[in-house]
This record gives sequence, C-alpha cells and structure tokens, in this order.
Amino acid sequence: MVVQLENNVSCFTGTPAVDTPVLIDAENVNIYYGDNHAVKQVSMPIHEKSITALIGPSGCGKSTFIRTINRMNDLIATARCEGNIDYHGVNILNPKVDVVQLRKEIGMVFQQPNPFPKSISENIQLPLKFTGERNKKKLKEITEKCLRQVGLWDEVKDRLDRSATGLSGGQQQRLCIARALALKPDVILLDEPTSALDPVSSSKIEELLLELKKDYTIVIVTHNMQQAARIADYTAFFYQGELVEFGTTKTLFTRPEKKNTADYISGRFG
Amino acid sequence: MSSKVTNRIALSFIVLCALIMAGTLAALLGYLLVKGVTSLSWSFLTSESSSFMAGGGIKDQLWNSFYVLIITMLLTVPIGVCGGIYLAEYARPGKLTSYIRSCVEVLASLPSIVVGMFGMLIFVNYFGWKYSVLSGALVLTVFNLPVIVRVTEDGFRSLPLHQKEGGLALGLTHWHTIKTILLPAAFPSILTGIILSAGRVFGESAALLFTAGLSTPNLNFTNWNPASSDSPLNLFRSAETLSVHIWAVNTSGIIPDIQRVANGSAAVLVICVLLFNLIARTVGKMINKKLSGKQ
Repeated sequence: MVVQLENNVSCFTGTPAVDTPVLIDAENVNIYYGDNHAVKQVSMPIHEKSITALIGPSGCGKSTFIRTINRMNDLIATARCEGNIDYHGVNILNPKVDVVQLRKEIGMVFQQPNPFPKSISENIQLPLKFTGERNKKKLKEITEKCLRQVGLWDEVKDRLDRSATGLSGGQQQRLCIARALALKPDVILLDEPTSALDPVSSSKIEELLLELKKDYTIVIVTHNMQQAARIADYTAFFYQGELVEFGTTKTLFTRPEKKNTADYISGRFG
Repeated sequence: MSSKVTNRIALSFIVLCALIMAGTLAALLGYLLVKGVTSLSWSFLTSESSSFMAGGGIKDQLWNSFYVLIITMLLTVPIGVCGGIYLAEYARPGKLTSYIRSCVEVLASLPSIVVGMFGMLIFVNYFGWKYSVLSGALVLTVFNLPVIVRVTEDGFRSLPLHQKEGGLALGLTHWHTIKTILLPAAFPSILTGIILSAGRVFGESAALLFTAGLSTPNLNFTNWNPASSDSPLNLFRSAETLSVHIWAVNTSGIIPDIQRVANGSAAVLVICVLLFNLIARTVGKMINKKLSGKQ
C-alpha cells in the first residue's frame, strides 16, 4: 500500500497549490437523467486561477457535473439539476440565468476535438463576430494572439484559410482551446480533452494548461490519474455519483482520507 | 451446409438483385434515349407544338415545366427548410411534434392524383385561379413540401452532436449556431435532396392535369411583363408541362407524328432529370468544399 502510494507521489510534478479565492462554489448539487440519479449531493469549491481535476471511474458523474457548470446539460431533455452552484453571487442553475452570457464566461472544450468544418481563422472569429466584433484588423490580432497562446501559430500561420478539419487531432484540440480563449472567459471547462489524443499531443495540452492557469480558472475531467497528479492543484474523486473526497492534489494522492480514494489512486479498481 | 457455402449463396443473391435493378434501369433509360434521340433536334426544342399537323415542337411545354418548377421551388424551399429545422432543432418530443411529423409523412405518401383533385377544388375552383401556373405550382408545393421538410430534418440530425455543443459552448445562441454552423454543415445534403426532389416535381403529371391544364395560350417570348396575358411569366395562364404533354399527345393527340413527339419529349424529360441528379452531386460537393475551407 505504502509502496503504491509512493509510486503515485513520484509522478506528482505539478506546482503545489497556492490557496486562491473560491470562484465557483457548488452546494448539494443533484443531477438526474430521468429516474437515474447521476450526481448525488455534491458540494465542492473551484478555486480561482488554479486547475481542479475531477477523477473517477467511468459513469461516476464527473462529466455530468462539469457539463452542469456551463449548463450544457440543458441540451438533454431528460436532465434535471437541483442545488446551488454559486458564481459571482448568482446560482448558475437558476433557470433565469442567461446561458449565452454564462457560456461566454465559462467556456468548454470537449473530449472529441470539434472544430467547425470551416477555415482555421473562421473557427476563432465566428464567436467573436457573434459578439459584434467586425473590425478585421482586430479580428486578425485576436486570432494570432489566441493561436500563439496555444502554441499553434507557427504551425498554422501559413494556412489560416485552410479547413480546420485538415489539422491533426492534437492541433484540432488546441484550436478548440484557442477558440474558447478568444472570448476571454473566466473559466475553462475541459471534459477529458486528451483522451482522444496521442501521448505527445496530450503532454503539449498539459503544458498549455499549466501556462493558462496563470490567467484562467481551469476545471478538467480526466480518466488519467497521472494527468491529474501532474497538473492539478485540487483534485476531486467521484465514485458512483458521489463526491468521495476533495482536496489539494498533493493531499489526495499522498494521504487520502477515504479507503475508496486510496484504492482508486493505487489502481485497485477503475 | 457450411458457412462458406451460405456466404457464397447470400453474396450471389445480393449481386443478382443489384444486377436486376441496374439492368432494369439501364434498359429503361436506353430504350427511352435510343427511341427518343432520333427525334431530338434544335427545332424540336425551339418550335411550338402543333395541334393537328406534323412537325410540332415542345418549346412552350419545356418552358412551362421549368417555370412551374421554379415557382414550386420558390414556395417549397423556404417553408420546407424552416419546417425541417423546426422539427430537428426546436420541436420538443411530445404530442404536437409527433402529430406534425405524422402529418408530414401522410402528406408525403398521398397519391399525386388525389393531391391534384384537392388542388382543383381549392386553387382552381374555390380561389378561382383556373388552370394556371400558380395553381399547378401550389399543388406541387403540397406534394413537395414534406420531401423538403424530411430532407432538411435528416440533414440536421445526421450532423454530429459535438458541432452543436461546440457552438453553444462558445456562447452562441441556438439560432446563431443553426445559422452559422449547422445549416452550412447540413447544406450539401439538403441541396442534394432539393435537387433530387426537383427531378420528381419536373416529371410530375397527374397532379398537374387538373391544375395547370392541358393547353398553353400563344406565348410571346419577347414580352416579359408578368401581368400581360401572353407573357411566358404570367402566373394566371394555363400551362401544359412536358410530362402532361406526353400524356395528352398519347391519349387524345390527333397529330400524325404522335410517336415522334412522345418519344422526343420523353427523352428530353429523362435527360433533364438525369441532369438534375448530376448537378445535385457536383454542386453539393463544390459547396461543401467552399464552405469548409481549402483542404
């Protein structure tokens, strides 16, 4: 047991958590798909300008939970949420919340890279144009800035008018992150962003996230415990719809309080 | 019987069915074209039909077919595409939605002669538009609308969900996501459906017998004022289309060269429908390329 935990400690290279203020505070969140109680009584904070990782085996409710933070679950007709997710004094789950505005502030990147079948620059400029930005020079500037931020500029600067679907999976995913950054969100939610990518592309995304957390609050769902250990400041362990344990990544991986957590991070199940 | 033998039998059966299908089509097309092409000539396409003498052409009928088609498409495409978007994107599952959907299905499966009778009662008699381009186009609209609705709905439903999620997650409204992401992505398949349905509308005859009429007034192809009675653009004149012409010539024609006119018209009709299909493919591909940026 101790040896196995030691193994996990060795892969922990992320920066130790600095205690930043809480930006999003979930309290007693319950999510149902029809009769299926997918997320049960989850309460956890999300700290500003840090990376919070949600880990747990498949079907544990971590993706459901992250999709609730920017109300993407509204798309699913049978989904129903109860509880309180406080963000700047507003309950995100309140039906009166303007989800369009909310999603501009809380962006999301998905498991499957989903660039629009348009040119690379159009992918970034489309949401900007929607917000009313018409100035071509400004649009170009923002495109370059965002592509530089995700380290894609040098790779694509000569083919900005080419279709984004021609990029590799890793490039597509970085483009999707750049696209989300263009709107200057507060929070970026990432739902298993690297599980469809090869190891090299994955580590590029991880480096990118470590860079981005200086300016953004990041929540990431991951299957990969090592990934959480490498990059996250805080980690939440979900199991069967419940939040088993939440803490700084270091504490959770070195001195887990619950037996389930210890079993999961030492690879006994999941 | 070993599974290998079963496999071979199944394969041969399927290939046989495919051959029967392709053979029938090829034979039919070949027959129509071989018999018809000999009577095709520039003067056949550009001269007026004659009621009792030999040597008539199909100029007016050809024009009428295209004109009725264009008016029909102008009416069907906007309504049909919007209806399809509603069903695919906005309609919540429920009684109303399933009612609308079954209406669309029933409408699509109505026999065209029945739709024609309906058109005669409503447009020709009740509204008093007589046998006219407008009555014909409206009847074809009833007939074609469900096809466009279905094509649009299918086009939207076949898009991967992550495209819609991507748009919404970027703070786009639902409508803006539809307009800028989903509709362009679904456009090639919708366009293909529209052009294919155009082929069907172009060849329709039964629904037009009682609505667009069996005759065409003398058209003056230099007068493009839609309000004057001898203009080709006039919506309220009767308009015999190509397929109706084939029927009319064959059943009640008294011209000596019935066979020639019928064969030629049939060939023109088939060639037009084939062209629609070819155009559907190439235009769909081209637009897809253009919208998605250079590869």
